[in-house]
Amino acid sequence: MYSGINISQTDARPMYLQIMEQIRARIAAGDWPAGKELPSIRALAAALNVSVITIKRAYLDLENEGVIVTRHGKGSFVADVNGLAGELREAQLEQHLAEVAGIGRELGLSSEDLAARLRRAMEKK
Amino acid sequence: MNIVTRKLIAKELHVNRLLVGIGVAAGVGSTLVAALGSTGFNIGSLTWLSTIIGMGVILSLYGIMNERKEHALEFIMSLPLSIADYVRAKIIGLALCFFITWSVSVAAALVMVFAKDSVPDGIAPYLVLISVFMLANFGVVLCGTMFARNEGTTTLIIIVTNMGVTLFMFIVAPMPGIREHMWAAAPVWNSAFWTVLACELAVLVITLTLPLVTVARRRDFM
Amino acid sequence: MTDKHIEMHGVRKSYRFFTLDDLSLSLSPGEVMGFVGPNGAGKSTTLRLAMGLISPDAGEIRVLGQPMPAAQAAAKRDVGYVSAEMHLLPNATLGWHMDLVKSIYASWDADYAARLVKRFNLRPEQNARSLSLGERIKAVLLLTLARRPRLLILDEPTTGLDPVARHEVINEFMDVLQDDSRSILFSSHNTVDVERISDRITFIDRGRLVESSNKEDFLDRWRRVQLQLPAGAALPALPNIVSRNQDGQFVTLVTDRFSDGFAALLGPHVREVQRMTLEEIFVANVMRHREVRGS
Repeated sequence: MYSGINISQTDARPMYLQIMEQIRARIAAGDWPAGKELPSIRALAAALNVSVITIKRAYLDLENEGVIVTRHGKGSFVADVNGLAGELREAQLEQHLAEVAGIGRELGLSSEDLAARLRRAMEKK
Repeated sequence: MNIVTRKLIAKELHVNRLLVGIGVAAGVGSTLVAALGSTGFNIGSLTWLSTIIGMGVILSLYGIMNERKEHALEFIMSLPLSIADYVRAKIIGLALCFFITWSVSVAAALVMVFAKDSVPDGIAPYLVLISVFMLANFGVVLCGTMFARNEGTTTLIIIVTNMGVTLFMFIVAPMPGIREHMWAAAPVWNSAFWTVLACELAVLVITLTLPLVTVARRRDFM
Repeated sequence: MTDKHIEMHGVRKSYRFFTLDDLSLSLSPGEVMGFVGPNGAGKSTTLRLAMGLISPDAGEIRVLGQPMPAAQAAAKRDVGYVSAEMHLLPNATLGWHMDLVKSIYASWDADYAARLVKRFNLRPEQNARSLSLGERIKAVLLLTLARRPRLLILDEPTTGLDPVARHEVINEFMDVLQDDSRSILFSSHNTVDVERISDRITFIDRGRLVESSNKEDFLDRWRRVQLQLPAGAALPALPNIVSRNQDGQFVTLVTDRFSDGFAALLGPHVREVQRMTLEEIFVANVMRHREVRGS
């Protein structure tokens, strides 16, 4: 059922962060629309073979970010906030840009050089 | 009785069925051999004794030590039973197995004694005494094996109890009250007989209940 | 009346060459506890104490609310125990064992048992003697899982299992946890599995409890820090350093109390701050514990 979500233990990032990221990605892509019910913590734990406490933490942090909403006794749902998908997409873009800037700095590129490279990349697609 | 105890007793009977079957066959067979003349009697009676004693030894050794050796004890103790339940199941189960071979063999021997004219009926009381002796002997072996913590002790117990049969014959056969009537035409059930029988039964009862009182109270079973 | 599945307080068990001392442990329903420690640390002894197979010299043990070993027959009705050293009864088949367990436990789920036989690649006609190590473990696991016990106590349950079998087995364990009234205590050398499925981790070494905590908090607290100190630069004063290794300019520190405050103290010479795997924490923890005890 949730075979698409994969937790890698060789990934340096902790398991709960990987889960959060994959859930955010699905929401950003629109696969998990606003209001959709998330799998119960135990069901997801059993499906991914990951400890309950890890899933709990992921859900808790996602709730603190406002990405999901937990209703006591009912379950967790994708936050019904307009443009949430777009917001998450924006956040993803910012994160990638920060990484690009960082690598650019390491390579000694100026912002004009980077902008040119970006333009070329956009034309390629 | 705990259902697990009942199941384990049934298991004991099931697992030992071939052995018990062979014992019964050997016991009855040796009785038939004993009915064929005086040489046959010697061979048959010796085989008859060996069968019953051997059955007791194999049952105790195999039934108790093997389970420990083969690490099957952990599986059994993971079932919902206490150490006392286990000891009870073991003793009752193995005693039942032995009793089957013993009772059929003894019955066959008694029938042979009373049916065959060439064998004096007077030997019947002695036959009963030696039979119950072997029953008590089994009790000792079983009890000892339950207590024993290694194979060396068990082997010692077996050697000692084997010698016991010979000792029995040396001590009881010449006893006044027994000796005179052994080869008589009719069986004599006198006080000497009853005294020896009472002693044997006492040993049997003690050896079968002792583990229930002591081993069962052991707090470390493994 | 407590609803904890396992409670141990100040448990002590002495053997000639080894003593388990002052062990306290508790397991709540819905929890998975990974029990980790070097060989000979006392894991099997602890699990046997929990099952009532041996009795403590001091301390209290309660399993599913029942005092152990006194009430072991009652407790074991709802506890499943699997140990890597366990063997089935010789001269009997797996099918015979399944019938035996079925006749003893009302909770035996025959359909589930049949599915497990397939999943674990076993055959009921197999004689107990002919089972390989892996098959034997899977057989005992099957007999235990199929009756759906409330508490599972497992001593190295993935020993001798190939990766596929291990995956199947871990799958079944995690399925158990879908019911939040059930729990698992398992000891394992496989730190990858322990790290993945445990809610709590308990470390034991040389008969003593080293640590017992929530897995996520635990993994959050441990870090390996790499610094590069140019000539003349001093190492910043840092608290809670478990170990320190210097190779020329490069210093590697391990801390078990990482926090934002700690990060702030690191100074400009830090190259990298890495999370550690359970295996690395395990080794560091045990080495530190042995140093402290002077052994």
